Amino acid sequence: MNLDRIFNPQSIAIIGASSEKKSVGWGLMKNVLEGKSKRKIFAINPYRKKVLGIKCLPSVLSIKGPVDLAVVAVPVRVVQGVIKECCKKKVGGIIVISAGFAEVGESGKTLQEKIVDITKKAKIPLVGPNCLGIIRPLKELNASFAPLTPQAGGVAFISQSGALIDSVIDKAAHENYGFSSLVSYGNEADVDICDFLLWFKKDKETKVIAIYLEGLEDGRRFMKVAKEVSEEKPIVIIKAGKTEEGKKAVSTHTASLAGSHKIYSAAFAQSGVIEVDTIEDLLSVAKVLSENKKCKNGVGIITNGGGAGVLMTDYCAELGINIPKLDKKTIAKLQSLSSKHSVINRKNPLDLLGDAQPCRYELALEALLGQKDIYSIIVIQTLQIMTEVEKNAKIIIEKSKKYKNKPILTAFLGGTLSQKGIELLEKNHISNFSELKRASVALKSLIK
Amino acid sequence: MALLSFSETKKLFLKYKLPVLRAELFQFEKKALSFAKKIGFPVVLKIWSSNILHRTDIGGVRVGINNEKDFKKAFFDLQKIKNVEGIMVQKMGYGKQLFLGMKRDAQFGPVIAFGLGGIFVEVLKDVSFRICPISRIEAQKMIREIKGFPILKGQRGQDSINMETLIDLILKISKLSLKEKQIKEIDFNPAIADKKRILLADFKIII
Repeated sequence: MNLDRIFNPQSIAIIGASSEKKSVGWGLMKNVLEGKSKRKIFAINPYRKKVLGIKCLPSVLSIKGPVDLAVVAVPVRVVQGVIKECCKKKVGGIIVISAGFAEVGESGKTLQEKIVDITKKAKIPLVGPNCLGIIRPLKELNASFAPLTPQAGGVAFISQSGALIDSVIDKAAHENYGFSSLVSYGNEADVDICDFLLWFKKDKETKVIAIYLEGLEDGRRFMKVAKEVSEEKPIVIIKAGKTEEGKKAVSTHTASLAGSHKIYSAAFAQSGVIEVDTIEDLLSVAKVLSENKKCKNGVGIITNGGGAGVLMTDYCAELGINIPKLDKKTIAKLQSLSSKHSVINRKNPLDLLGDAQPCRYELALEALLGQKDIYSIIVIQTLQIMTEVEKNAKIIIEKSKKYKNKPILTAFLGGTLSQKGIELLEKNHISNFSELKRASVALKSLIK
Repeated sequence: MALLSFSETKKLFLKYKLPVLRAELFQFEKKALSFAKKIGFPVVLKIWSSNILHRTDIGGVRVGINNEKDFKKAFFDLQKIKNVEGIMVQKMGYGKQLFLGMKRDAQFGPVIAFGLGGIFVEVLKDVSFRICPISRIEAQKMIREIKGFPILKGQRGQDSINMETLIDLILKISKLSLKEKQIKEIDFNPAIADKKRILLADFKIII
């Protein structure tokens, strides 16, 4: 299925454009107009003259010239007529935002099937219905009614829930998180998750694909496609609805044990898809994978708080992440550090003590990054009165540039006082985690 | 949903070369006893009924029968259970108990389950899953995935079970499940493993 005209439209028609504030038709117009210098925008509404300064046309058929993407946000009862017009116009692709289809029951399902029959005959891909739309920040394309356009980045987010995307966007904006694309695919009546995966496999801007999934239409096809795609780009997934099983009469142990979520997990593992438990992990794991090279198993933990170091060690060990012993060379390099501070341990995790100054972090980083069987670093910073957050951040940035093949993740624990350092790290594509365990989960995903 | 008959089950085992702990089904005590003597005590007696899936729960299984007298009493008792179609006589197996199963999932097709057998399955739920077809590497992974894996490897000087045989068995079940589409579920619990081989001791195939 060719989705190029949906993802790279030269012209968009918003069918159901509205000037009524807070309506979907208004939100869509407002968002697509952000990209008006990049493409032609048409507003379609037979009952309005102008929407947000754009002259309204009565139908998509009144547009002179081709239309790549038609976004449909009209009441459900008129959707079918609008779709017929779009097919007559030979648009390149359709997104149906309108709800009231398969998700509401049998009558909606029948209507949905009718519409897809029409578009399939016309060989026009249809996204939705009952979805939020698509966004591609770098292309200044926001064909959705999301609250804002997020920053550009390497993560493509595909979501079965539209509302969730909105919240993710808001959170991402707050955390300088960037996306190559966001797709809400709704009822997947025609274009399905596999079609999107295959499109993002080719997409140069997309480094990692993150998925929020509720259910699949064709599990075996998903496995085949996901396996093919994950060999080129990592796929991270969160599966909702893990606990529904148990209604059916149970005949064998296998049936009672193989709850649907366990089968889904097996399917993900077998197709090379990384499964996570929380939305936060979904985003952070995807980001870490988009910003770092994969590495071998072996982490060096540097901390200025003994307790935090022990916790991180526990989390890493639980996930099967190796914590190699420091070798003689590394210990020798650390000598100057420990001669001044005789209490500093020379172990991994390396405790720099609470009063650690930036120079101590620098020496420690240089020593541990130099050890052969340490392939990644987690730097923990707790906050004392003498802790220099920004200077520490700068040192970490410098070292990460020097040792490009050894990912460095940070866990600067704290709030207001740590914020500037954290911003500096994030701006330089070093992922910081405000919770130790999340850093270990993210690191785990980087290990080959 | 029904239990596949004893004779059909045996045919299936033969077709896919599944190793099974020698067993026969009998209606009458005399023939049953002579079979027991032939294979040698101790033996196990189990009821067979297409309506009864969980034999142990209703006292339909007698293990470790060592002599003729105990055999006759057990056979008599088991025959009294409602809906019993026959009594299965089987040689007593010794070794580590494994669990292997299959469920046909609406989304993904046949899914294979593996874990420690016997009552451990129900209590600990220490089971791993893979969707068919399963490669040799995936079979190996699913064996290592369970928490009880060190038990299979052997602790404190015990022998390890034969891992290659176990992988072969998983692959055979995978193949069977993909081909025999009429089969909805399978429970092999336990399969008994020692350092040489694995034999299916209890089997339920649902069609």
